[in-house]
Amino acid sequence: MKTIKIINKTGIHARPAGLLTKEAQKFSCDIDLIKDGKSVNAKSIMGILGMGIAEGDVIGIQANGTEADSAISSIYSIIEKINQE
Amino acid sequence: MFNIFKKKKSLELMSPMTGTVISIDQVPDQVFSGKMIGDGAGVVPTKGSVVAPCNGTISQIFPTNHAIGIETEEGLEILIHIGIDTVELKGEGFKRLLEPGTKVSVGDAIVDVDLDFLKSKGKELATPVVVTNMDKVEKIDVVETSCLAGKSKIITVYMN
Repeated sequence: MKTIKIINKTGIHARPAGLLTKEAQKFSCDIDLIKDGKSVNAKSIMGILGMGIAEGDVIGIQANGTEADSAISSIYSIIEKINQE
Repeated sequence: MFNIFKKKKSLELMSPMTGTVISIDQVPDQVFSGKMIGDGAGVVPTKGSVVAPCNGTISQIFPTNHAIGIETEEGLEILIHIGIDTVELKGEGFKRLLEPGTKVSVGDAIVDVDLDFLKSKGKELATPVVVTNMDKVEKIDVVETSCLAGKSKIITVYMN
């Protein structure tokens, strides 16, 4: 599992959640985002939006299955890009 | 063997706002026009009341009240994103009338939005209405027309 802190002022709202979900869907493995001990499927945009990930939150990225490590790195990169917005 | 008797389900979505329907690829945000979040249509509103487009349960209202998620009885997840880049308004101009978890019927008012305020902040009013769990969907038909909130059918979703 990798963790990353959200420093983007508007957190993960519809646009970044869309980018994240699209990236997650490229992988066949299970990918989860974890916040405050609660995990959601990174391939479900409603799940991600429902978490209400905001500036200051620390998010965990976890994956299980084929190419799990690549999946985690990809999602981590996307969130890094979101942080730079 | 009994599959030939199984009718495929379809769901009609009414317009969540009064205004004009535009096709999803005309929504001025590539996250929606590029169908990254799902498929559906856009509504350019003339009135600020946002109502339930179908029966279901409010799965979430974003903390800044500019986006609503509804889960329908058929298991479809509908996202209504009021305006473009409106998260930047940090909730100003939006007022939620119901809470997540509430069961709604078509036409129930969920959020009130001040369209003049959005315009004064330079925000596009186009409001995408999309199905986010497209793995359950076979096809989507959109009727591009002027529409009344809760009354005009704008989208038909054909399920797998």
